[in-house]
Amino acid sequence: MEKQALAALESAANIILAPPNLVSNEQRHNAEGVFLGFRKSKCPYAVCRQILETSNSDYVKFEAAEVLKCALIREWTFLQESDILSLRQYLLHYIISRDIPAFVQDKLLQVLAIMVKRGSVEDFGQDRGNILNDVEALFINGDSAKQILGCKLITNLMQEYAITVKSTDVGLSWEVHYKAKMNFEAVDLKRIFQFCVQVISEIIKSDTPFGDNVNNLLKHLLTIIESILSWGFMASSLPKKLIGLYEMVQRADHAPSLRLGMQWKSIMFAPQFLPLMFQIYWKVRDNDQLSHHAMTCLVQLASLNGGIMAEHTDKMLYIGAFMENFLKLITSVTIKSKESLGISQITKNIHLHFVHDVIALPKALQESYIDDLTRLTCCFIEGAATEEVDCDEKCYMDSFEIMLESWALLIQEYRQVTNDFLGQAATCIFNTYLKCHLSSPDGSRKQGTDLEVEEIEDDEDNDRTKFKDQLQTIGLFGRIVPDQALPILYKLLEDRTNKLRSHLHTMQSQAMSINDSVTLDNIFEDIHWTVLIAGHTLCMDSDGETPTIPSDLMRYSMDMNAKGLTNLDESLKVMASVQQLGNDAECSPLCDHAVRIFADVLKLCAIESSAAEVKLGHFMSPEVSCTLMWFLKRWSLSYLLPTESFYQEISPVLIGALGKDTEGANFVMNFVLAKIQSNICYYNSEPILLRDTVELFSDVVGIKSKSLYIVKTEGLWNLINLQSKLQAGMLPVNIRRGLYKGFVLAGTALKKDDEAVQYYDQILKPVQQRFKGVLCQENFNRIYQQDNIQKEIQDLLECFIGISKGATMGTVVILFKFLGPILSELPVLLNMYHNYQVIVQMILDLFGQCAKNVLCYLSVADSNQLYETTYNVVQVYAKCNQNRFSTEALNEEGNFQDLCLVMDLLTYILSKDCLDLNPLINQEEPTVAASDVALYGLRFIMPLMTLDLLKYPALCHQYYGLLTLINDIYPEKVCALPEDMLRKLLTSVEIGLTQFTADVAQPCLDFVAGLATHIFKHSMKQSAAYQALMPFLKLIMDLTLSQQICTDMVATASLCIYTLICCYSEQYQMLVQNMIQMQTDPAVAERLATEFNRLMANVPLTCDRHKLKFRDQFDKFICNVHGFLLVK
Amino acid sequence: MADMEDTHFETGDSGASATFPMQCSALRKNGFVMLKARPCKIVEMSTSKTGKHGHAKVHLVGIDIFSGKKYEDICPSTHNMDVPHVKREDYQLTDISDDGYLGLMADNGDLREDLKIPDGDVGAQLRTDYNAGKDILCTVLKSCGEEVVIAVKTNTALDK
Repeated sequence: MEKQALAALESAANIILAPPNLVSNEQRHNAEGVFLGFRKSKCPYAVCRQILETSNSDYVKFEAAEVLKCALIREWTFLQESDILSLRQYLLHYIISRDIPAFVQDKLLQVLAIMVKRGSVEDFGQDRGNILNDVEALFINGDSAKQILGCKLITNLMQEYAITVKSTDVGLSWEVHYKAKMNFEAVDLKRIFQFCVQVISEIIKSDTPFGDNVNNLLKHLLTIIESILSWGFMASSLPKKLIGLYEMVQRADHAPSLRLGMQWKSIMFAPQFLPLMFQIYWKVRDNDQLSHHAMTCLVQLASLNGGIMAEHTDKMLYIGAFMENFLKLITSVTIKSKESLGISQITKNIHLHFVHDVIALPKALQESYIDDLTRLTCCFIEGAATEEVDCDEKCYMDSFEIMLESWALLIQEYRQVTNDFLGQAATCIFNTYLKCHLSSPDGSRKQGTDLEVEEIEDDEDNDRTKFKDQLQTIGLFGRIVPDQALPILYKLLEDRTNKLRSHLHTMQSQAMSINDSVTLDNIFEDIHWTVLIAGHTLCMDSDGETPTIPSDLMRYSMDMNAKGLTNLDESLKVMASVQQLGNDAECSPLCDHAVRIFADVLKLCAIESSAAEVKLGHFMSPEVSCTLMWFLKRWSLSYLLPTESFYQEISPVLIGALGKDTEGANFVMNFVLAKIQSNICYYNSEPILLRDTVELFSDVVGIKSKSLYIVKTEGLWNLINLQSKLQAGMLPVNIRRGLYKGFVLAGTALKKDDEAVQYYDQILKPVQQRFKGVLCQENFNRIYQQDNIQKEIQDLLECFIGISKGATMGTVVILFKFLGPILSELPVLLNMYHNYQVIVQMILDLFGQCAKNVLCYLSVADSNQLYETTYNVVQVYAKCNQNRFSTEALNEEGNFQDLCLVMDLLTYILSKDCLDLNPLINQEEPTVAASDVALYGLRFIMPLMTLDLLKYPALCHQYYGLLTLINDIYPEKVCALPEDMLRKLLTSVEIGLTQFTADVAQPCLDFVAGLATHIFKHSMKQSAAYQALMPFLKLIMDLTLSQQICTDMVATASLCIYTLICCYSEQYQMLVQNMIQMQTDPAVAERLATEFNRLMANVPLTCDRHKLKFRDQFDKFICNVHGFLLVK
Repeated sequence: MADMEDTHFETGDSGASATFPMQCSALRKNGFVMLKARPCKIVEMSTSKTGKHGHAKVHLVGIDIFSGKKYEDICPSTHNMDVPHVKREDYQLTDISDDGYLGLMADNGDLREDLKIPDGDVGAQLRTDYNAGKDILCTVLKSCGEEVVIAVKTNTALDK
């Protein structure tokens, strides 16, 4: 290499490394240019060697290594084997013998690793074996610096093999990467593992503390062992996409379980192996740098599974040995907050992979294991409670949650066999959890921050969301020992209720001091948590299934009753007494325990309502009210009016107190409805509370067996009458619609037609009359802008939205008879109020809700009516907003919101074509297709969809989603669009492919592929669509070849390209010829031509299953072509 | 001061005040509210509370409907806030006078010539469209005694 060139590189390096004040931007830019040019050099091997030998600049050496890397990847296939070998040997020698800075060394190690990997594709790992020999030699002869270098080399090698899907960097197709990885796993991974364990076992024989050098070496060795134990061993049968996902998750730091084959038996089952691994942890436990890696090894070992465990005896021996060592560890140390995570993960892994074996272990071992688990869990609960107050770390909280998951697995297993291990553990954990959430003297809750914290935003998660998982498991513990848990809960509730009552009593007569308010907050917090825990103990999360009474509690209630400890009469009396607030008398001990807790909650509700009535409502806590609403919802869903046929056995007390046609059930329903009414009256300034209240209402009436009774209660009619008296604009947003959804849902259960008609008349007529009353005023045209009229219209629209949301298959005919005529008035109203955004959006929303909830059940005639009004509404909206130019602040944001609603509407309309639940579907043929409505609507809306608006991600996704959906169902309709519309549509697809992110480009590719397939299959060469789609062949080819389409989407892109080639084979040939002719280097042109030939080899252009073959060949094509076409 | 007097004079025509009260919790996004004595459109509305067991407070962010300035306020959800009467009406543009006044015709045929051509982009657009002989619809925003053309729309064959 000429000296000048080297000097130029060195001076460029100096400029890049210079502080910003000494060089200008332009100089820096030029210097960068020098290196970018350098990276493109051809056959730079000799030059780079020379630089490594002679240059004084480390930066230039680093760049030389980078250049080597790029060139090797690009030119590998052109290189002579002997050249490669000599370069490889040279580099290894260079790294070992020279004193170079770490960043240069790392880069060179990477180059070496890439060379070894590429070489191993051809020699099946022979050369790699030689390198490993060299590394082992380094350990025997070398000093610690050499040993560390050996570790680094291994780490780099492993990195190259670990990931297959995303490592297209090395210029190999995925299959080849994958084969190389399998070969590496089979041949060398075990050897590396064995070797590293061997070295560590020697090291830790010496006494702690180790010196710095030794610690450093240990760190490297442990990292290697850790990554082998977390290695992604994969079955070869998985498709690439799954492996890609798997590798992505793995890289995001979720180690997969340790899945090994038979060939690892001798290592893993060697008697000294597990003790050694635990000993390693023991020795490095106090060193934060090392302990984490050693702990991860143990966590991974606790998950050992796969072919290696084929023999049951092996498994038992392994878990027995593991347990023994693990128990030794946890019983002899105080667990630190940092290691708590690892410990809990170990237990979880044990339970995930060995739970059957754990319960088969010797009784004594099991017993001490359960004891230790309990002790640790309690310790983590307490730790978590302290953490919350004292510090930002959440180690204990996280460990506690993992521990609970781990328990859940174990409990499930233990419940299959009878035993008495769990009772004590459950009591202990339940009590500790409760204690940590109660104030002193009963509990140990510290004066937390959030009781006093200044501002809490309401969009923050509340406790029942934040701690849902832990509360569920605590409830599970409670149900294991109901005789312990339920009495504690009702005692606590009754105690706090009395305190609250006496507090309120005092406050009625005297002003509140700061001290009082702290006490009151503490009472509220205690009630809040007790109710949360009670709710999770008494009821299980139903998650879409019908909620039922948990069988443990059913059994418990029956047992208590059978023993004469509870009876129905006393239980009923307690329920009936909840409204007698003055009465402090002890609750009857003969009351059923579940009923008693419920009665306590009802009593709290009654106190709240009566406090509001005497104008003390502002002392109550909305947070507690929300929790009470949540409890009532949960409880009513499971316990109120239970369906007897769901249960094998049923408690006479529960069915007697809450079953159908009982006075108790009637009382409870009216009580709950009265509470809802009271909240709406007195707490309408609390939006969150009202939201929870409405949710309680609509969830309970959503269950037919319950709503059948509710429609007959006095409470429901009271509620209906009360809310109808509330003036428009009194309630927070969305509350009115929630109520109407509930009213409409409640009628669903009415079986007889006349009953239903009568019911809905009572609900809907008043609303209809109000609507008529407003619209039919003589001077409506002049007064429509008045605020009271607007408020009334808004309120009515809220009602209509609620009504459409409550529609079900059984009621839709009645409801649409009511809604239909109203909807047809709305286009006119929209035109009138087009300057008033709130109303515009509500009208669009109403149509969207109707399309979503009502349309799918409608008959042909009714559907057509809805289509027509939808047409009109969209048209009016478009007319009012076309060519409109406004300077209003945030005008664009407003348009965005509107258009989102329109897109929603069109998408819902379209879905009628996919899912039509019209009961008469077999008897009548649709006369208008929903897709025509959607397309027609789109035609009006497209002029309003500016590029700026499409930059809103939500709108962008909706828009492209809709396009693709239409195209999926009806490509022929898209093809038949008028030319200008088709052009606009395709322009937006082009924008979607080029301007936005992958999740937009993906549906656009699908769109093109779908359309092309249709065009091909119907031989539509003469059509406008054929012409219009043609440019996409070149566009998508270019995007893919220039890597502007991300690697994840290459598969989709290749399918799309295949269909396009099928349509436009001549154009494709021309495109290929052009690309080849454009190459200046004849060798490249020739290779390109070869690759293009290979790409199409044996792929018939039939636009069918052959696309899969094309996809595979395209994958290889892209890999090969990128190497020389894209000199990056 | 003259402006202030105008304000009273203008809104006095129906004998009503320029605002009316509404409970804070019942306000809604995209609705209107007075913030710092200015009529604003609510662009953000969230609730918060003081302490876990405290009562709801409403946090409002509004944009002055005339100046586009941003205002914020936080108030207990039980309180009443003033809500401005806001009127937007469309007029047909008939003429632009030499001194920059617009000739506007309401739907019912009433004529008015008391509004000036607005500053900025809308004004420029208005002149261009008018000079091009287009059929122009002006949206006039009126609240708290202020009145201004806020948007223009050129009619096409599709309309009316």
